[in-house]
Parts: sequence; C-alpha cells; structure tokens
Amino acid sequence: MLNVSPRTRAYETLPGLNPLGIPAVAPLPSGESPDTARIVERFGTALLAAGLHNGQQVVYVAPGQLVALAEFVRQDPQLCYEALIDVSAVDRSELPVSDQRFHTIYQLRSYARKQHLTVVCPLADSGRPSVPTLAGVFAGATWPEREVWDLMGIRFTGHPDPRRILMPESWPNHPLQKQVPVGGEEVPFTLTWSDPEFESFGKQVLAAESKPPVLPPGMSRENMIINMGPHHPSTHGVLRLVVELDGETVVNVDPDLGYLHSGFEKTGENKRYKDFVYYTDRMDYLSAMSNNMGYCLTVEKLLGIAVPARGQVLRVLMAELQRLASHLFWLSTHVLDVSGTGMALLMYATRERERILDLFEMACGARLTVGYMRVGGVSRDLPPAFLGHLDGFLRAMAERIDDYERMLTHGPLWEERLRGVGHVSREQAINLGLTGPMLRGSGVDWDLRRDAPYGGYEQYDFKVPVFSEGDCYARYLLRMEEMRQSLRIIRQAVDRLPDGPFRVEDRKITPPPRAELDISMEALIHHFKLMTEGFQAPPGMVYHGIESSKGELGFFVYSDGSAKPYRLHVRGPSFNNLFAISNMSKGAMLSDIVTNIGSIDIVLGEVDR
Amino acid sequence: MGLEEKLPEGILTTQLETLVNWSRENSTWPLLFGLACCAIEMIATGSARHDISRYGSELFRASPRQADLMIVSGRVSNKMAPVIKRLHDQMSEPKWVIAMGICASAGGPFNNYAIVQGVDKIIPVDVYVPGCPPRPESLLYALDRLRAKQGKETFRTYVDFKAPPLSKQPDEISSLESLRRPQLA
Repeated sequence: MLNVSPRTRAYETLPGLNPLGIPAVAPLPSGESPDTARIVERFGTALLAAGLHNGQQVVYVAPGQLVALAEFVRQDPQLCYEALIDVSAVDRSELPVSDQRFHTIYQLRSYARKQHLTVVCPLADSGRPSVPTLAGVFAGATWPEREVWDLMGIRFTGHPDPRRILMPESWPNHPLQKQVPVGGEEVPFTLTWSDPEFESFGKQVLAAESKPPVLPPGMSRENMIINMGPHHPSTHGVLRLVVELDGETVVNVDPDLGYLHSGFEKTGENKRYKDFVYYTDRMDYLSAMSNNMGYCLTVEKLLGIAVPARGQVLRVLMAELQRLASHLFWLSTHVLDVSGTGMALLMYATRERERILDLFEMACGARLTVGYMRVGGVSRDLPPAFLGHLDGFLRAMAERIDDYERMLTHGPLWEERLRGVGHVSREQAINLGLTGPMLRGSGVDWDLRRDAPYGGYEQYDFKVPVFSEGDCYARYLLRMEEMRQSLRIIRQAVDRLPDGPFRVEDRKITPPPRAELDISMEALIHHFKLMTEGFQAPPGMVYHGIESSKGELGFFVYSDGSAKPYRLHVRGPSFNNLFAISNMSKGAMLSDIVTNIGSIDIVLGEVDR
Repeated sequence: MGLEEKLPEGILTTQLETLVNWSRENSTWPLLFGLACCAIEMIATGSARHDISRYGSELFRASPRQADLMIVSGRVSNKMAPVIKRLHDQMSEPKWVIAMGICASAGGPFNNYAIVQGVDKIIPVDVYVPGCPPRPESLLYALDRLRAKQGKETFRTYVDFKAPPLSKQPDEISSLESLRRPQLA
C-alpha cells in the first residue's frame, strides 16, 4: 500500500464569516448579484449564505430547503435555471473543521438567461449522511447522484434508483471518502528475475466465476433479456447494456458503467495541480487537448492569472484541431456501426485524422495523449514548419468534409437508419442535463464558446449550428457543420497568431526556460521549487466548463490552499449524455441502440473516469 | 540434392512444424477488444497508414472463439478483470497475449484502488509494449516479436502445454444450466 497517512494542511479561514451558522472553514461568498438577491428575497434567513465567489454565484442552503430552492430557481421567471449540469460532493474531514463533514454541490444552468448558479448544501453529521434527491425536479440528477452515492457514500432520500453506478455492487467502501486510502501497490524497484513473484504471474487468478445474473429494477423476465457488452464491437469501449426485448422492440435499457473506472478524481487529490494535466489526456482520449484546456482554465481561474495572447490563440488552435479529430473519429466509427460495411469511410476519416495527429506530434511530440497545455499557457512554441503543414491540411480538409457528405447525407441507407431514430425533444434534452451536440441537435441554441466565452473565443467569428429535429440525423448534420466551423476558427487563429510569450512569465507557476538554468541561480531555485513542491492555489472553490467535442466538460476544484486540490471533480459530458440512452431507445428496434450509442458519441474513459 | 531434385518444379519440402508455425505467424487474428486510449492507437494501427494486414492480423474477430491474439489495450479495472479472464479462457489454444501500453503491463500512472497493476496478474502475457500509449509502430514491432516467438515453437512445446484439468468431463454434462451453477444444483 502507498503511504496515505492523513495530511495536515494550512487552511486559512476566509473573510466574510456569515453569522447564520455556516461552517467557518468553507469557501464563502460575498457581495450579491441580481439572481442571488432574488433568491435571498424569497428564502430570507432560511439560506445560509448567498453571493459571489470567484466570480460565480453561490448559494448555501440547508438540506431541508434544497428541493424548495431547486423548484423555485427552476420555475421563477426571473431566474429560470432549467438544467442541472452537475452534482458533486466534498468530504471535509481532513480540513480543520469539526462539523458538517459532507457538502453536496450542484451546478445549475439557465440557457435562456446565460447564467450559472452553484448551490452548496452542507449535510448534518450522522453515520448515514443523506440529502433529499433532486431527481424529481431535474431528471438529469439521477446519474450524478448515483455517482455521488457510489464514490462518496451520501444517500439521496427518495432517489428512484439508489444503486452503485461505477464500482462493483460488492465494493467494500466509498473510495472518495478521505479515510479510504488511494490504494495501488508499491513499485518494486529492487525486484530481480530470481524473485519468486515472477513465478506467480499469470497463475494467481481465481477462476472466472459465473455469477447468477441480477435483473435491473423495472425489468421483467417475461420478456427476453439480452446482455450487450462489456465486450461488444459497437459499444465504443467497455460499456455494458442490459436490454429487455419484446420481439425485436426494446422495452427497457439499463447501462452498466464502471468497466473503465480508473479513479481519476482520487488520483487528482493526490497529485499537484501541475501534475494532473497529464491525467486529463487519458480521460477523453479522443480530445486530449480540450481536456488539457478545461483543466488549465479551471486552475487559472482559481489562481487568478491570465494567459498571454499567443498562448491563448495556440490553445484555441489546438482545441479546434482536436474537435476536428474527435468528430472524424466519431464519424468513422458511427458509419462503421450503422452501415456495417462502411470500412471505406473509416479509412478516409482516419487518414485525415492522422494528419492532425502529425501536427500534434510536431507541436508536442505525442500523437494521442498530448499534454501540450500547462497551467499558465502551453508547454512550448510551435516549430517553424507547423504553420505550413497546417495550411496544407486546412486546404485539403474543406473538400474532404464535402466528400464525406456526398458519401452519406443523401444515401438512402444512411437516412433510413438515422432519420427519426433516437429522438430527444427540447424539453427532455434540457431536463436530462444533456450538453453539446445532443443539446443543439434538439433545438437549444447553446454553445459555451459563444455564450460563456473562455480562452479568447469571443474574438472569433463562427456560427453555432442548431437543429430542431432532435434525431440522430440532425446530430449527424450538426457535427458535420461543426467541423466546418472549426476550420473557420482555425483559419482565424492562424491569421491572428500574435508574437510574444506563449505562457505566463510568473516563475512561481511556469518553469524558466532551459537556457536560463545554466546561468541564473535564481532560475535554478525557481525550477527546483516548482518541480518538487509545485505551486499553491488560494483556498476556495471553482467550477469551469468548456465546450468539448462531446459537450460541456467541467472541472470542479475545491482548494484548501495547498499545492494539491483538496477535491477534484470532473463533469464528463459523455457520462451525462449517456443517461439519455434509455429514453432514446425505448420502443425502438434493437439495432437502433447501436445507432444511438454512436450518435451520443461516448468515450468510456470519460464516462467512467 | 535428395528428394527435391526428383520432384517437379514448384514443389517445396519443409518440416511440418515450420509449416504450422509459418501459417500461424502470418494469420494471427486479434480479438476485437479495446479498453482505453491504447485501443485508439490499435485502431490507428489497423487503418490505412500503418496497415496491420501486412502481418495478416487485420481480421479483428469479435468472438473470442475465433481469435488467436488478445491485445490488452489499456488499463484494466477491477470490474473489468473477471471479464478479461473469461474472454481469455474462451479463446481456443494456441493463444497469445500482448499487453499494450504501460497500464496493461504494470498499471501505469493509475496506481490506485481501481486499476489492476498489470494484466499479467490475471492472464499470461507474451509481449509487453511500453508507451503511453505505444505508437502504432510499437504495436507492429510487438507483432514482430510475437512472430519470432511463434516461429520457435515446436511440437514438444505444444504437447507440454499445461491445460487446466477440466472440472467436468464432457459426458458428465447433462445441461448447460448445470454447468453454469454447479453450487446451486
């Protein structure tokens, strides 16, 4: 076992202590905004605190008032927070506090008013911490709340489906609680070939036992139950679906997740801020650059630093290239799944994708898990030949997208398999907490790049495609159009690429250039301090979402002032989008499930995290 | 020289072992089975630029019963481990395993509660490929190494293979259900 003794950390008491009974050590809001003023007007002293924190609207509410608050902010015409984006929780037992060990944290979104609201709910201490569920108000809370129960051990009273979601049902603990060790094994550097441990490799396993199948709730043995996955060619990884069939018509679908659960959040709490960048590559491994960007922007928001102009443009350039690569991969696998014989498009699309990976390789040396961005900028500048190659790619790519469309868009088989399949209405999409192409395909005009700009996106001219049909065909057309818009953004980024530094010059956050180490003692010390201790972030909490290729990728960091995040939570877009699969597939044919999985565009590394 | 001089043109002589090994080397069909990031590089290996079919391994079989090679491409979680073990058991002999990437080889960066620290804890591995993820060229080199290993096999090693004893003899099996739950019966 690793050394996981409880850490003692410096934690400053924040100013603005609220007399209403809020725990002393918590990221407290101050000031007010029109929205929080409206909430305070309605709830008055029933609220624990309300105001702004790190530029975000935060409301602290007791568990008894939580459901009332959620219903109010959803229905009040002045507030109109229609969607629950994320649910997370923090275990504060390692902070110097004696009460209210668990806080649950909700991220709410108003699409109409372009507002974001964070609701924090401190739970009363007891052996069985519990909080009322919000699944009755926002259907999209169902899965995130199951995740919180699974990983953090908080019960949601009244929850429609209170099972574990990621870990096996028999798992002994809730891994994100602070007293649970991070686990793993000691690395045996001294092992030699004569060690008896090598003898045991490949032999120490238990027999692969057959467990009696467990029927998910709501399914009946009257119908045929089919198990799809976790080893199945068209579930895009290790997703398992339990499907109840009446003939060939789908009655019910129950996804079983967690076959790729890798403990990212627990690992993140044990890594320094700067070291977690490389882990984000491995979450949504099809859009590593976007993950890098989302994480770095979140930490930068916490630190309060601004990236130089060149660094910002480079980030946008890479993130849009990554969106293209991700959509190309989506297209190729989707065609392969749906048509069965679409091998040609897989070859064509991967050919273009390889060119993007070559560009990444020129910029940072890696193809897939890039680790190009850093807190404070990017890791290195572009090599001289990059822009020439990029130009060649851009000129070829515009025609290629037309080629793909010619092969597919009006193909009778393609239309037959996609039109009217996997329908999600506008209300459903909002209520289920869907984001990205799933949301825009159902007629909600929302794109974080335009509506809550980050990283300099407000300076680019691009269209956000929106389709109101809400079926797989609309989402297909939408992603094709997004690829064209990405090309536009990349061209603009190339045109406006300014000179200057590509990362902040603050030596506390980014290391000095290599050449400086040989001549400057000070640079050497900075480098040493940064590599051995990292940098400390001020205490507080911050949520930041970016528009990844799959939807809203959000990072939530709860900082205690040390060099490691006290709590790191990731809102994976695929996870929330996959929740729609049962709604989309009920009443459809079995083969439509495959179309729906492809159309949601999941990456299991991000679903399971 | 000997027999070959007396044969008509176009006929070669060889040893049976060499012939069997030659055919195995050139038609090692992998299991269509991806786990994480490495699976994406595995797909890249299969696509046009890297073209795994030069090795006769382009036919990724979805059924373990038709596959010879399991490429464990990515991290193995505790929940997935029994599934991998079962898939490997379902593959017919002779079978080989490539642990692709550092996660499958030794757990990689995920030294935590969720991930099995190396797939060799549950199934025997023939070739380990370093990298996070390994480039397609690395996977092709691993296939090269595997071919070298396959080429060295002899009938003696085929015979010496220690298959686990069957828990039930075929004639003892009355129904499939009795196989599934021996304890409950």
